[in-house]
Amino acid sequence: MKKELKLTVNGQPYEVYVPPKTLLVQVLRDQLGLTGTKRGCSDSSCGACTVMLNGMAVKSCSILALQANGAEVRTVEGLAKGAELAPLQKAFLDHGAFQCGFCTSGMLMASTALLAENPKPTKEQIKEGIDGNICRCTGYNSIIRAVTAVVKGEYKEEK
Amino acid sequence: MSKYSVIGTRVHRVDGPEKITGSAKYTFDLVLPNMLYGKILRSPHPHAKVLKIDTRKAEKLIGVKGVVTGKDTIGKKQGIWRRFPELCDEEILCRKKVRYIGDAVAAVAAIDEDTAEEALDLIEVEYETLPAVFDPLEAIAEEAPQIHEGVELNININRHIEWGDVDEAFKKCDHIREDQFVCSSQAHVCMETHDAVASFDYGGKLTMWTSTQSSYYIQRLLADMTGLREGDIRVIKPPTGGGFGSKFELDSAQFCAAILSMKLCKPVKIVLSREEEFTATKRRTPMYYFLKLGAKKDGTLLAKEVRVITEGGAYTGMGATALYLTGFFSSFPYKYPNYRYDGYRAYTNTAPTSAMRGFGAPQSTFVGESQLDMMADDLGIDPIEIRRKNGMTPNYEVPGQAYIQSCGLHQCLDKIEEHIKQRGKLPPNHGIGVSAYGFMSGGIFNWFDTPYAFSSAIVRVNIDGKVDLFTGACDVGQGSDTTLSMICAEELGVKLDDIRIHSADTGICPPDLGAWGSRETLMNGNAVKRAAADAKNQLLEFAAAKMGINIVHDLDIRDCRVYLADRPERGISYYDVVKEAIRGKDGEAIIGRGHYTPHRKGMISPAYSFGVQAAEVEVDPETGRYELINVTTAHESGTVINPVGIEGQLEGAIMMAGGYGYCEDQPMDEGKILNPSIADYKLIRSLDMPETKILEIDTYEPEGPFGAKEAGEGLTNPTAGAIANAVYKAVGVRINTLPITPEKVFRALREKEAKKKKK
Amino acid sequence: MIKDFEYFAPKTLKEALTLINKYQDECKVIGGGQSLLILMRQGLVAPRYLISIKGLDELSYIKDTKEGLKIGALTTHRAIEKSPVIKKKFGVLAEMEQRLASIQTRNWGTIGGNICHADPAGDPMPVLIALKATLTTTSLKGERNMPVEDFTLDYFETALEPGELLTEIQVPAPPPRSGAAYTKFNIIESDLATVGVAVSVTLGAGDGVCQDIRIALGASAPTPMRAKKAEAVLKGKKITDALLKEAGEAASTEAEPISDIQASEEYRRELAKILVARVAKEALARAKSA
Repeated sequence: MKKELKLTVNGQPYEVYVPPKTLLVQVLRDQLGLTGTKRGCSDSSCGACTVMLNGMAVKSCSILALQANGAEVRTVEGLAKGAELAPLQKAFLDHGAFQCGFCTSGMLMASTALLAENPKPTKEQIKEGIDGNICRCTGYNSIIRAVTAVVKGEYKEEK
Repeated sequence: MSKYSVIGTRVHRVDGPEKITGSAKYTFDLVLPNMLYGKILRSPHPHAKVLKIDTRKAEKLIGVKGVVTGKDTIGKKQGIWRRFPELCDEEILCRKKVRYIGDAVAAVAAIDEDTAEEALDLIEVEYETLPAVFDPLEAIAEEAPQIHEGVELNININRHIEWGDVDEAFKKCDHIREDQFVCSSQAHVCMETHDAVASFDYGGKLTMWTSTQSSYYIQRLLADMTGLREGDIRVIKPPTGGGFGSKFELDSAQFCAAILSMKLCKPVKIVLSREEEFTATKRRTPMYYFLKLGAKKDGTLLAKEVRVITEGGAYTGMGATALYLTGFFSSFPYKYPNYRYDGYRAYTNTAPTSAMRGFGAPQSTFVGESQLDMMADDLGIDPIEIRRKNGMTPNYEVPGQAYIQSCGLHQCLDKIEEHIKQRGKLPPNHGIGVSAYGFMSGGIFNWFDTPYAFSSAIVRVNIDGKVDLFTGACDVGQGSDTTLSMICAEELGVKLDDIRIHSADTGICPPDLGAWGSRETLMNGNAVKRAAADAKNQLLEFAAAKMGINIVHDLDIRDCRVYLADRPERGISYYDVVKEAIRGKDGEAIIGRGHYTPHRKGMISPAYSFGVQAAEVEVDPETGRYELINVTTAHESGTVINPVGIEGQLEGAIMMAGGYGYCEDQPMDEGKILNPSIADYKLIRSLDMPETKILEIDTYEPEGPFGAKEAGEGLTNPTAGAIANAVYKAVGVRINTLPITPEKVFRALREKEAKKKKK
Repeated sequence: MIKDFEYFAPKTLKEALTLINKYQDECKVIGGGQSLLILMRQGLVAPRYLISIKGLDELSYIKDTKEGLKIGALTTHRAIEKSPVIKKKFGVLAEMEQRLASIQTRNWGTIGGNICHADPAGDPMPVLIALKATLTTTSLKGERNMPVEDFTLDYFETALEPGELLTEIQVPAPPPRSGAAYTKFNIIESDLATVGVAVSVTLGAGDGVCQDIRIALGASAPTPMRAKKAEAVLKGKKITDALLKEAGEAASTEAEPISDIQASEEYRRELAKILVARVAKEALARAKSA
């Protein structure tokens, strides 16, 4: 029997009805059409499904949707303000911090959560921030350079 | 003024904005109205006859719309080596026999994934299990079970390469080494698993969206396997989450989705689970290597004899290519006056082994570079020096095999030598290992039996000066869309922004063999360059008339300006020329065409890239655990078209190649892969990734567009060998099997200690 | 594929206990679900009723008292990792949490959930055992207390009785001149332990004799275990390198590791030997500077 789920995603409130076994990632992708968040594994190991929940980076494939009742979720679709890209997104573009792009949403959300919690992370902390995310294309170092550039203040957020 | 306007500049990927905003729609994201979801039933046995399949209960489950088995196909076998029918040995949806755990026997389409999965449990399959064999050395024994009818001793393929006289040459050597190695398998682990959406319409036409490295190959192979006309099949490649060699053959997701859709006339989507990705898709070819190397005491290599037996798995796939290339690249990157290679590929009842980035060269480089270091050690010669002494040089012919034009190997050796010197004295238990390599830029052999040029492109110049570029080339993350757009812009003389690329849609793009064997930049790049040149020439015809210039002058276009090549101050706007040219052609857009097929380029490839890598490790001598500290690579790939792209490829390759050496493995028990999950299949993550440094060497390859050649695959070759050599330098033990795990290092260290104590 | 279930999200502990008591074997409790959901997705666990206690904020706390630390079972790994009081007074706990899985997992997964999952390779248990922690389980009938080392009975099996919930973990205040350390061996930094070792050392006043010692091993037996023979080598003595080596050897004989695709049994024993010596040495150094 479906149960009611109320949550805010990227600032927008939603009310959906889901079977209890539904995972948060399924609500985001299948019900709300926010396909930016991806899935790449069956055992919570790859990080492609990373979103922010109440300000924390979490793996949306490993959270029952109903546990997110009342929560504020942020996905990759919520990073840009209209057509204005977020600093991290600009940095990723400049530094070639993605190739096939499938892990990218997860990387962006993990990095966004990291910087929200700690705006001046060390290189080691940046690595730690994305250690839950597998990338098969870039070898991670370009992603670390992109995040570092944002940390250094090379991308001032437009007001 | 710099030589080029567009190529060599740091640009954003043309598919960048959609990828970093999450708006790129991969096959994984595709939803069509009335779409059904498919799941595949796979054999739990490594070798068995399929006696009976009863799908009635599954068909009755509410939500199930259709079930197919091999009986719903036209019963053909396919293989990517289409020119050789005996190597087209795979039904995909098996009819009478299954040959590995994971071989597909049925597929279900239902209203949602869970229902489809539930239905699988209701399909009753009666198997008669057969004895199975898993090790290639056992598979070629007389008493081994026969896996494919008519294939004696399960010997799938054999290859032979030879020049000179190794037996005579060995007699003249001062020192000979014989060594054995075992190279493991490796999984591609694309972040996007194999997936396909097939839509067969009532008009009898099939459209497929799929993550693929070659939409043309899938189109042709689907035609072979469905009986549909090639032209009635349209294969579209959306943004794709990785390929690495796993996605240019027809796979079970594509084929089963097609068969289901054809039966139901509804769109059917199949996405392989990560477990299926590990167990039921093809993987890197494991190899047993026997190497004999002979040299003079001054380090000159005189002879090399290579014998390889590879684990083929249940079907051929691209096995023939891997078998040949491993033998060919075993001679790289050195000048061997005498060489002999014999390679055998044996069928086994394991998941089929096929193509993976490097294509047999990571294996040959690991074993060759390990042995070369051992030889250098025996002779008391510095590892860089022995490589210098024997390294290939420009315009070298590998006898009867290949003609190497550009080659920057020696400059790479110099750079790495400098790098090691700069590093200075190493702390205890640190070691730097060196590994040199060479790799191809696309293959010359038409084993696919295509009647088309290997690469084609069409350039269309529109009234506003904006250019549509149509090419079959497949961007699976390596950045071909961007690189080819840059080549087009440079040749045509416009800005990158003026190019809009349409790629990998067989309905509108001319064919291209796809993204594998490192061919896109060189082969499709040439096609694109020619197409752009064709369009440019048509424009320049009008420009010449418009400008009324003397016959002795040439025109060119750069930065959207048509100008006299020798009097660049005289020029007019490209946009004006375009308008006039189109009017002059009675309103028809300017269309340029180009294609490229390598002719008379030897047995392998039109061009080769080279490099040298140095890996530094720190070994914990008690546990055997080691850390990858730094991987520095001196690399030459001709003219650098897309610097951001190349850096990405070079750094990324280290993660994959490093993984091959350090931690990736697929242990099996009776044909069952024991770690089919990302938790258990160990991958290098950001905390494990070493520091990387790339040193570019300038070279120019006449065969390539603007002098460019490959950059994505060669880098997967050296790291395992560099790690092996580094561990030896650090703690004095040699590991000749992959991956080089801490436990292996630990055991070797203990053995060494024990031997010392005996003395 | 997850099988359907009926879902409850009780708002109070009492409500949760009532539900668990009602459904007994037919129900499963889910905290953050970071371990449980994987099992459910693989079809290995398929309860008819799922009771989510993630919302029970009353079980999420870190209290620093005179007797020591009281940690609510639903405290996330990340909260423990980041807690200033834990970093200051029970640093080994924060260090252990920092290497546990990924930040994403730590943000949602709970220490109670981890312990109840009872994976012998889990990180928290060896550390808690070394710190002489105790825990409280609660049911409608009341509370039970036990040392943490009595909680794990077998692979993925705990001493929780039907109707019971793990509600609190208590870590006694470290005595003066004590130190603790933890390490795990793996080849990928954030991976589960191939072998894990936690040691706490308490020195006597003045002469530096080891007054008390605890050595706990992870991934070396069906459950997290105390290496009592190894402890006996060091307890009551002045710790030297030679004794550390002996303790390591003792630990490697009393461990009961398995061979699997990660490592052979033999190698695991060797790792226990090496790591016990190393971690005990580190704990000793920390005790000396305490």
